[in-house]
Amino acid sequence: MNDHPRISDFSGSDLDRMIPDESRFTAGVLIEPGKSYGFFTDTTVCIGCKACEVACKEWNNLPADHIGLTGQSFDNTGELSANTWRHVAFVEKSGCGGVRDNSEAPYQSGWLMLSDVCKHCHNAPCLEACPTGAIFRTEFDTVVVQQDICNGCGYCVPACPFGVVAVSENDGKAHKCTLCYDRLKGGLEPACSKACPTDSIQFGELSDLQARAAVRVEQLHGQGVGSAYLYGTPGAPGATGGLEHLNAFFLLTDRPEVYNFPVAPTRASNRVAPSLLSGLLTVAALATAASFILSSRDR
Amino acid sequence: MNEPFVGAPEIAASLKPFAIYDGTTYYGRQQLKPWPFEANVVGGYIFLAGLSGSSQILATVAAATGRRELDGAVRRGRYLSLLAPTIGSALLVYDLHTPKRFYNMLRVAKATSPMSIGTWFLMGFSAFAVASAAGRAGADRWPRQRWMKSLSTAAGVPAALAGSGLCTYTAALLSATSTPIWASAPATLAIRFGSSSIATGAAALALGETDPAARAKLDDVQLCALAVEAVLSAVTKGHHKRAGVEGAYDSLPGRIEQVGATALGVLAPLGLLAATRAMGRRPRAASVAAGILTLLGSATLRSSMLSLGNVSARRPDVSLQFSTPGNLPEVRG
Amino acid sequence: MATMDGRITLVQESRFQLTDEAGVSHLFTLSPWCAAEPAQLRPLAHSQAPVRVTYKAGVDVIGQVAQRIDVQAEAGR
Ligand code: SF4
Ligand code: SF4
Repeated sequence: MNDHPRISDFSGSDLDRMIPDESRFTAGVLIEPGKSYGFFTDTTVCIGCKACEVACKEWNNLPADHIGLTGQSFDNTGELSANTWRHVAFVEKSGCGGVRDNSEAPYQSGWLMLSDVCKHCHNAPCLEACPTGAIFRTEFDTVVVQQDICNGCGYCVPACPFGVVAVSENDGKAHKCTLCYDRLKGGLEPACSKACPTDSIQFGELSDLQARAAVRVEQLHGQGVGSAYLYGTPGAPGATGGLEHLNAFFLLTDRPEVYNFPVAPTRASNRVAPSLLSGLLTVAALATAASFILSSRDR
Repeated sequence: MNEPFVGAPEIAASLKPFAIYDGTTYYGRQQLKPWPFEANVVGGYIFLAGLSGSSQILATVAAATGRRELDGAVRRGRYLSLLAPTIGSALLVYDLHTPKRFYNMLRVAKATSPMSIGTWFLMGFSAFAVASAAGRAGADRWPRQRWMKSLSTAAGVPAALAGSGLCTYTAALLSATSTPIWASAPATLAIRFGSSSIATGAAALALGETDPAARAKLDDVQLCALAVEAVLSAVTKGHHKRAGVEGAYDSLPGRIEQVGATALGVLAPLGLLAATRAMGRRPRAASVAAGILTLLGSATLRSSMLSLGNVSARRPDVSLQFSTPGNLPEVRG
Repeated sequence: MATMDGRITLVQESRFQLTDEAGVSHLFTLSPWCAAEPAQLRPLAHSQAPVRVTYKAGVDVIGQVAQRIDVQAEAGR
């Protein structure tokens, strides 16, 4: 049967087994190896409830971290980290400075919220940088760190152009969103998208999501939200510099930097060849010079 | 700030609205994550890798000249190259967050990862450098056993080839990341690291040299490498300006890089060596002073460049400026 | 170092939940120096073997870092 490996953990369940391919009912998509899956995060419907953050922590058994208050709007999570794989960003655009706005343009124009996550890049710099092969591409076209291989060299951390992956001080391994690899294997949609009450986070097959997102942008433009655009689809901001596309992409209504996203990130491995070659040429040239100097007679 | 790119035909239409960065940050929080290393440990490794690789290269070149007065330099070069396989590797393993799994580095070889490339450079280098040093030790102990010296010379060639990788891949290691200071100058940083490595090799060999003629030659090699490095430190800074990331220099590592690594570590020994060479009198004291400055300067360069990179990763204004469309390779060229 | 007795009730990668004798659950992660590997946690959870975890407090998290896991003899049930 299609039993999920975790099923025996929940002896109290009154179902005698998992609902086979549950994602068909919760996300309208059948999860099959060999296809590309991802997230489409539509920030215009996010209400900042952080259900995604909680669902992620619960499913993945992640501890609370960065305990304390930041004073930065409702964002006390702060950033993605080794123990926080979903992060809801809050940007207050109006009503600050003691004056409350009387009217607002449609779709959260005054208070932006975005649930950030690992982008599961097509040409993922973290994966390309990992010297142990701990980071790999799964059968669902997602990017996952294998915890039994990572040795905590930390090289994936500066490689990521989005500041996502981090090494935990506690267990000495790199961690980031797995796009619920274990759930996908069990036919379940990821915990965050399942928990999202407004469908701001949508899980699905990448081509479907991209088509759906394009329609959504048209719809918003028609409704007067001319600022709506996609981040991370082919040819869009976020999918630049050889990254091609991001499996987790976003619909934004303000500049990328407002959400702490880079406009034009690049694939770090672009720079391996130019750097190595110029270094080797330099050494070759200096070694040649050295051989002339060292073999000279008249000194 | 960058020059404006609006209207530049190379920029995709979807990026044009965001071509100029307006200074927005998300509450000033970092947009990238810094590499979680200890700058002095990894910097120490990079320094030793450069020193070992270049000592081996210079020893091999010196052995190839067949000149008798360079024989001492050849011996010291072979022994100095043992620094990377021993202390260098220990530093690398120490810096891992799960050191007991260091051997996982050996389960793959990846051309997209300079850390993987470097692992294999280090492995190859270590094997041949140990063979070469052992052959040399044997030859010195038992001079009748001619084959031992031949072994040392023969193993020195592949060791020198791997050594050229070892003393430069560390620049690719930094540049093939998203950290603004490292990523914005891949070629120039590599030329700078390469010439700095050769300078340290020549400096270390000259320090132990008692033969004035040999020392003068080694000092000339050092002078050459320092000259390249001096030019490249200016060019690298220029690239940082052009990419709009020079704001990171306004920090302690930035000042250490400028004063400690560049002024005291490159320009000072360069001036000293050039002056004594022009005077035609080459006192050993000047050579020793220049050599020590070069060695300290190179070590400082490595650790300050590591810290400076992390400063740039932590500063959202710097990293967001770096990732504007104007810095894309297809636009920047 | 502190120790805690209980049974492993949830496992995710190197993180696990230990439910103590009072029925309270605590979150742990394996230290990089711990001899136990993540792959050994799941069988412990399935067998519900009583274990003693030697731990330190985690840095910047509400959770503990397991330094050692010893399987205990089943207390006369
Ligand atoms: S966003 Fe960062 S961590 Fe996620 S796949 Fe891309 S490079 Fe890797
Ligand atoms: S920290 Fe782990 S996952 Fe990241 S690059 Fe190193 S070995 Fe790979």
